[in-house]
Parts: sequence; C-alpha cells; structure tokens
Amino acid sequence: MAKVKEITRKLEEIQKKIKAEIPWEPVGPTPMPEIPDLRNWDMRLLKTYAPFYAPFCDLCCFCTYGKCDLTETRRGGCGIDIATQQARWVLLACLMGCSAHAAHGGHILEFLIEKYGPDKKIDLGGSINIEAPHIRTVVGLKPETLGDLVIAIEYVFKEITHLLDSTAMGQEGSYLDYESKALHAGMLDHVGMEVADIAQIVGFNYPTSVADTPLIDLGWAAVDKSKPVILFVGHNPATSTVVIDYLRENNLYDQVEVCGVCCTALEASRYSDRAKVVGPFSRQLFFIRSGIADVIMTDEQCIRTDMPIEASKAGSALIATLDKAMYGLEDASEMDTEEIVKQMIEDKKHFAILDPRKAAEVAAKVAMEIAPQRRKEWLTEEEARELSQKCNDCGMCEQVCPNLFNIGAGIAEVAKGKFDLIREQFNLCVGCGKCEAECPRKLPIFKIMQIAASKETWKVRAGRGPIMDTEIRTVGAPITLGTIPGVVAIVGCSNFPDIRDIAEMVDEFAKRKYIVVVSGCSAMVAGMWKDADGKTVYEKYPPNFDMGGVVNVGSCVANSHITGAAIKIANIFAALPLRGNYEVMADYVLNRVGAVGIAWGAYSQKAASIATGCNRLGIPVILGPHSSKYRRLYLSRKEEDDWRVMDARKREIVDTVEPAPEHLAYVCETKEKAMVMIPKLCIRRNDTPQGRAIKLNHYISLHKKFMGGGLPEDIHLFVRRDPDIPLVYKKEVREYLQKIGWQPREPVGLPTLIGTYPSKVPVDAVIH
Amino acid sequence: MSVIPYHRVNVLTGIKSARLIEDAQEYADLIQKAKRPLLVLGPLLLKRSLDGKLLIEYALEIAKAANIPTCATAQVRAKMAELGVKPDSFYDVVEIINALKDPNWRGVKKEGNHDLVVFFGIRSDLGEQGLSVLKHFAPHLKTMTLCKYYFPNANYSLPNFRKDEQWKAFLESLIDNLKKGA
Ligand code: SF4
Ligand code: SF4
Ligand code: SF4
Repeated sequence: MAKVKEITRKLEEIQKKIKAEIPWEPVGPTPMPEIPDLRNWDMRLLKTYAPFYAPFCDLCCFCTYGKCDLTETRRGGCGIDIATQQARWVLLACLMGCSAHAAHGGHILEFLIEKYGPDKKIDLGGSINIEAPHIRTVVGLKPETLGDLVIAIEYVFKEITHLLDSTAMGQEGSYLDYESKALHAGMLDHVGMEVADIAQIVGFNYPTSVADTPLIDLGWAAVDKSKPVILFVGHNPATSTVVIDYLRENNLYDQVEVCGVCCTALEASRYSDRAKVVGPFSRQLFFIRSGIADVIMTDEQCIRTDMPIEASKAGSALIATLDKAMYGLEDASEMDTEEIVKQMIEDKKHFAILDPRKAAEVAAKVAMEIAPQRRKEWLTEEEARELSQKCNDCGMCEQVCPNLFNIGAGIAEVAKGKFDLIREQFNLCVGCGKCEAECPRKLPIFKIMQIAASKETWKVRAGRGPIMDTEIRTVGAPITLGTIPGVVAIVGCSNFPDIRDIAEMVDEFAKRKYIVVVSGCSAMVAGMWKDADGKTVYEKYPPNFDMGGVVNVGSCVANSHITGAAIKIANIFAALPLRGNYEVMADYVLNRVGAVGIAWGAYSQKAASIATGCNRLGIPVILGPHSSKYRRLYLSRKEEDDWRVMDARKREIVDTVEPAPEHLAYVCETKEKAMVMIPKLCIRRNDTPQGRAIKLNHYISLHKKFMGGGLPEDIHLFVRRDPDIPLVYKKEVREYLQKIGWQPREPVGLPTLIGTYPSKVPVDAVIH
Repeated sequence: MSVIPYHRVNVLTGIKSARLIEDAQEYADLIQKAKRPLLVLGPLLLKRSLDGKLLIEYALEIAKAANIPTCATAQVRAKMAELGVKPDSFYDVVEIINALKDPNWRGVKKEGNHDLVVFFGIRSDLGEQGLSVLKHFAPHLKTMTLCKYYFPNANYSLPNFRKDEQWKAFLESLIDNLKKGA
C-alpha cells in the first residue's frame, strides 16, 4: 500500500513539473525517466550489441582495499570483476561528459535569467516549432521560457547524482546494469546539451531558422596580429559575448582582434561573424606558444590545465573567467579594475575574474596596452633551422607521442634545411606537447612547427543550431525510405589520426548526396581544405539539411540538434507522439532513420557521453583508432546474433537476418575502412527496395574503391529480394548470390523491437 | 622476467606482461607447435618497408612458410589483391578480436577457434587494447606480435628494437626457421 502511494505521489510530482495539464500531446509512459525506467530497452539493445571491453588498465585503485588486480578472472576486494570495472569507468566517463554539458547549460541559464528573468520566451524562429525534441521526449515538457529550461536541467542534475552514486565502492555489480546507466547518462547528456544551446540561441540571439549562416574566417593566419589580440579558449560563450559587447559599446571593435580556439570560437562566431576561428583543440598549444594572443581568456572544458604556465612562457596575459578552472589564481572579481590592469601589465600577473563585464574591460585594456610591445612574427625557416641544430635524433619524443610518429625525424630534417617531413607531420600532431616536455635537449618543438603550419586561411560556416521543421518535412520520407542514403554526422574532438581525414570524408559523402552534418572541432577542420577551385566544403556544398548538403550545427552542445533531428523525423514526419515516449522514438530511429555518427578524433569524456546518448537513441557511432582507449564498444556478431524484429503490421516476429545497423559503437583503424563502414551503418530495415539499392550502391562502390575491388562478402545479408540490388552491380551481385545459395526473403512491413522484449509500450504505439 | 614485489597489494602494476622473446627459433617453434594459428594483418604493413621490401611481403612469406591462415583487416585486402594473394578471411580488427574471444567460434577455417593469434601491422595503441581484450577474456588462446615494439598485453612479444636492421634480421630468421621446420 505504502509503495502504491509513493509511486502515485512521485507521478503527481512529475506531472506537476512537466505541466501535464497542458495537452499539447498525451504524456507517454516514461516522462522524466529514472534509472530503471528504460532499462528493458537498454537490455534489448545490449543483447544484440554486446559490450566489448578492452581494459585500459588491469587494476582498480578506487578505494583503500586496493590496489586490486583484476586480471582475467580475478575479482577485487569488493567483488568486482574486470568487465564490470570497465563498465564502471565508462559510466564515470559518461557522467563527466554529461556533467560538463549540463553544468555549462546550468551556468548559461543562470547568467541569462539574471539578465532577462525566467519568463524570457523561447523563440527559435518561424521554421522551428518543435524547439526541444529531447526535452519534450525525455522530460515530457514543452519548454516555453528560460524558466522551463531550469526544470529540465534540474532533472538532469538529479539523475546524475543517482548515477554517480552507483559508481562508489561496493554498489552495482553487473556490467550490463552499468551499461544501462551509461546509456541513461548519455541520454541525459543530450537533454543537457539541448538546454545549453537553446538558452544560448535565445539569450545571445544566435542565428536560428536559417541555413546559410555567414562564412567565418578560419585558421591561425586569419588572425590579424597587427592588432591587440584577445583569444577565447574553451566552450562557454558567457565571456566572449560580453567581451564583444564591451568592444562594440566602446567603439573598440575595429581596433581589437577577437578569436577563439575550440568550441568557444564557434560560439563567438555565432555571436559576431567578425570573430575568427583559429582552429580545433589540437592547435591550442601551438597557437598559444606562437605568442600571437595578447590576452587569453579561458572559460571551461577543453582548456589546457597548464594555462598559467603556458601564458607566462608566451608573454600573454591570462584571465580565467569561470569557476570550473581557476588555476589557483587570485580571484579578482571584487578588485578595482584599474588595479587589476596595472598588476597584469606591470607584474605580469594572471587573475581569475568571474564577473564577465569586469573581465571584458580588463581584457581589452590589457591587450591594448601590451600588444605594441610584443613580438608577434612567425618563425622564419632560417630561425627554425638554427633552433633544430641541437637535435641528436635520440627518439625520446617518438616514444611519448600519442599519435605514434617520430617528430624528431622531422626536426632532424629541419636542421638540414628540409621542411617536407615536418609539414606532413604537422597534419598528424594532436598538440599534446608531450614531445617537447620529454626532449632531453629542450628543443622548442612547437616553435619549430610554426614553419610547418600552413599560413593559408579558410572558411567555416557559422553554426546554425537546430534543423528546421520545414527541412524535416522535406527529407523525412526520403530518409526513412532510404532514397537519401543517410545522414552522416561527422562530429566532435580533434584527436585525429590525420587532420585531413575529416574534409576528405565530408567531401566524399556530400558528393554522394548524403546529408552531412558537422559540429565542434570537426566542423572547423572540415573547412581546412580547399578543392582545385580554392573552395572549402562549406563553399562547395549547399548549407541545407538535404541531399548533398553540408550543415554545421555549431559547437559540441549543438550535437543535440543532430540527434534532435532524428527524433523530429519520428515526430513531425511519422507523426508519432514524443512526449515522455523515449522508447518509441529510439525504436523508430534504430529501425528507420539511416543516420550514423563519426567521432573520428574523439578524446574527451564528453565525446563518450554524446556517443553513448546516440546509441541509446538507436544511432550507431564510428570512432577513430584512439577511441579504443574508451575501453568499451557495442558490437554485434552478424552471423550469430539475433536479428528478429516484430512486424507491427502483421503482429508476428520475423527473423530479418540482416544486421541493420550492424554495430552501435565501432572503432576503425583507418579512414578507408571507416568510409566503407559509413554506408553500411546507414542501412535500416525499413528501406524500400529503391532506397536499399541506393545504399548498397554506395556500400559496394566504396568497398571497391578502398578494398581492392570485389564485393563485400556480407552483401547477401542486406539483399532481401532482387530489386534491392543496385542496377550497376546487378550481374556481379546476382552471380555471387547464386554461388553462395542465397534465398530471397520478404522485407518487413513495419519493423520494430517493441514486442520482442518486456516493455510498457504496446506494439500499437509504433503505428502511425 | 618481471619481478613482483612481495606485498603486491600496494605496488602491483597489474600488467600480466608478455614474455619477451628475441630468438627467432623460439618464435618459430611456438608457431609450429600451434594447432590452429592465425595471422592478423594490419594496415601498417602497407605503409612501412624494410630495405625497400614492404612489410606485407614479409607477412605473406611468414604465412606461406608456416602455412598459417590470414585475416586481412582495414584495407589490407586491397594490397593483397594487387599482390595476387587472397586472404583466408576479412574482419576488421575489433571484429576478429570479438570473434576470437568466443571459445566456441569456429575460426576462419571453420575447424575450431585458433590457439595462437599472431598480430602484425596494427597501430600500437589499438593493438595493445585489442591484446588486452584477449588477455582478459580469451584464456583459451595465446597471442603473439611481430611489430617492432614490445606489447605487454600479448603472451609473446618482440623487444623494442632500436634499429630496423635488428627487426629485419629477426623477421628473416623467423622465415628461415619456419621454412626449415616445415
Ligand atoms: S573498489 Fe573494489 S576493486 Fe577497486 S580498489 Fe576497492 S575493493 Fe578493490
Ligand atoms: S627528443 Fe629532442 S633531441 Fe631527441 S629526437 Fe626528439 S627533438 Fe630531437
Ligand atoms: S605534440 Fe604532436 S608531435 Fe608532440 S607528442 Fe604530441 S602529437 Fe606527438
């Protein structure tokens, strides 16, 4: 009795929070889901896409019983085994990532509510009515004001606490349950990101309901170093927007150059198209050591933790603007502005200033004062040669390089006046700085790299935020039928095996008429390449969310708009209700929306949680080779696994045989392999014969291009009947199918996993 | 031989580490003793050469000398096609490891799972992670590496060769020994 009462009370509370009485849609089975609510869905996914663990460390040192050796079948003092320990790490990583975005969202909300009050309306322009697909689906709330976003973010905060609790010593003991919790964290992350980006768009008047946002100058050479330069590093635009406002209000914007590294640069360029985007995270240390920035302003996430040391070395002034990273600096938020400026100039002191207005004023004044006295020239080849002489090719730098190449060989060549090798190597460098720290002869490797860095400038399209409802209406049918072969989302950080891979992938898939979506550091490096006509991918392809378009949604938090677009297809195009209806949305996406994420340079915990959130929603993710260090993938075994679905029209369970999609989280060693996997992971059970033929055409042609001719040996799994075979390869495929004794099979009318596992959702719910 | 301190709870590194072998004869013996070995070929074999001979050619000589079936990962098959050799199987590296992990898998020849898996040409970070999977979850098989560096998560590994010549000499001697033993 007590239990029923409690549940009712809880439900009542939820209904109050999500304003259930406003009947924009009926409330589905899981508004504000807690840990157990979507567990059955997770377990169903994990049955086909089993966790694959690659332990990065054999030990656990979480508590004072340890260190515990968990090698092979051993268990720790608390009873945990190596698989569960990996899953616990994965959950922790997802929680770090999810917290970073959620806290970012929370901070932006606080900042904007302080400025505008909680009743400021959410208006994303005339072409966006479904303003917050994640918040609507997960939370069950239709946010109308900034105050409503607080309800969503508080839900996320609460869930994070419960999830984090489960990682303490002596709690959860099942790797599958840890995975379910990680999937929960991933889902929450997309809510948190959505809150952050909607708040930013509303509060900072970012472009919205528009596709052709301005083209922004990109590259370190785009920065006008003859002016005082203020550099933003990180993710949170609360600072950059205030600095730009300050410069505008004081008529200084013409005299001061503002630029950014990492996502905060993308944010600044959404606020002002004059802000320059220097480059991705991997160019942070390189650019800082160039000394071009007079003032560096850090905010949060993806900022180097040795920033005060690096800033001092480069002779730049540093202001830490957010409480997340104060570097042990004196908090000058209450100090007199002139006094701060004086100490920064005369004593070369760095400060934390948490009042953005004050930080802006100090930054402008200090930059203008110190710029004229600083040398800001790129190194010459002669100087580089001189500096390289001390290298004795000892190989110490190679041993610590996470991208596994020998920068020492490049330096030794520079010493001989040859620059080709180091220019090539600059494309591989992920900017960690370990080589220079290791060098026994103290070679200034990063300085020498200045002669390797191209002085070209490029363009990146300013982030446009959500995909428009009008676009979804146009592409909904062709995506779910398969005639648009897929949505390829090339996203995230810059731990690339080779920085050039991204533009190549974008170009390949845009040319093939996929919808290509980019974000974050990947959006920047996509622009760092030009075709024979001197055009970047942003100039070469249209900015629409449609066949052959290249769409930059924005920074990391804008990734929520990519997954949001998948939900919108289910909601707007298929007219399935989304409110508190996560399972139905995810099931729809998994079975019908041919979308795949590529996080080729994923390095952060945020990437782990974003990807895991995609997975819970049924979107597979391909990761680059470094990502094997995330410890966990979700892989199927296509010949052995269970590919049965419910045909919702016939109400029967059918064995489709087809592994579509084959994996949920997958690592590729090379870009060639990734480009063959992308079309394959866009295949969905719902494809019409025409759509399937188009998808297989790309799969076969990319396989032939990169795998030395021939047909993919799993092609028979994806051919249901003869019309699925692409015309160009008809003869070859037919012969192959005949040889291996392939038998035709009926496509499934309305494929769904609902009905194949215990769920509160009835099969009827997926019929639209 | 790694030395493990007596009070291992406080200092243990946790790495059950590979036996370091420099003697090509010993490697050849291990390979020849195996009942169902497998050679996994990675894309670095297409990038590097020793004295003008591409690493993939060494790999294929090893496979031939010891009659080991091959698994081509990434785009290795493209180069093999050029050289007129058909791999015995194609799986990408995470896929072959996922299959190997299952003791009931029937192997690339459908004769049963492999008892010795030799890795050659996978980038070291990914390779080390893959070997970690097998170290923990595939007690039914042993792993071996032919790359230039030490891989602690394997069962048998080469040392960190400072010079390419040492590595080349090892590979050549291994091929000779395998031919002799065949
Ligand atoms: S949490 Fe468990 S495995 Fe980890 S150190 Fe403590 S007892 Fe050992
Ligand atoms: S560590 Fe220094 S001296 Fe040694 S190879 Fe590298 S750059 Fe040269
Ligand atoms: S800074 Fe670049 S070259 Fe140096 S260790 Fe890191 S990735 Fe390698």
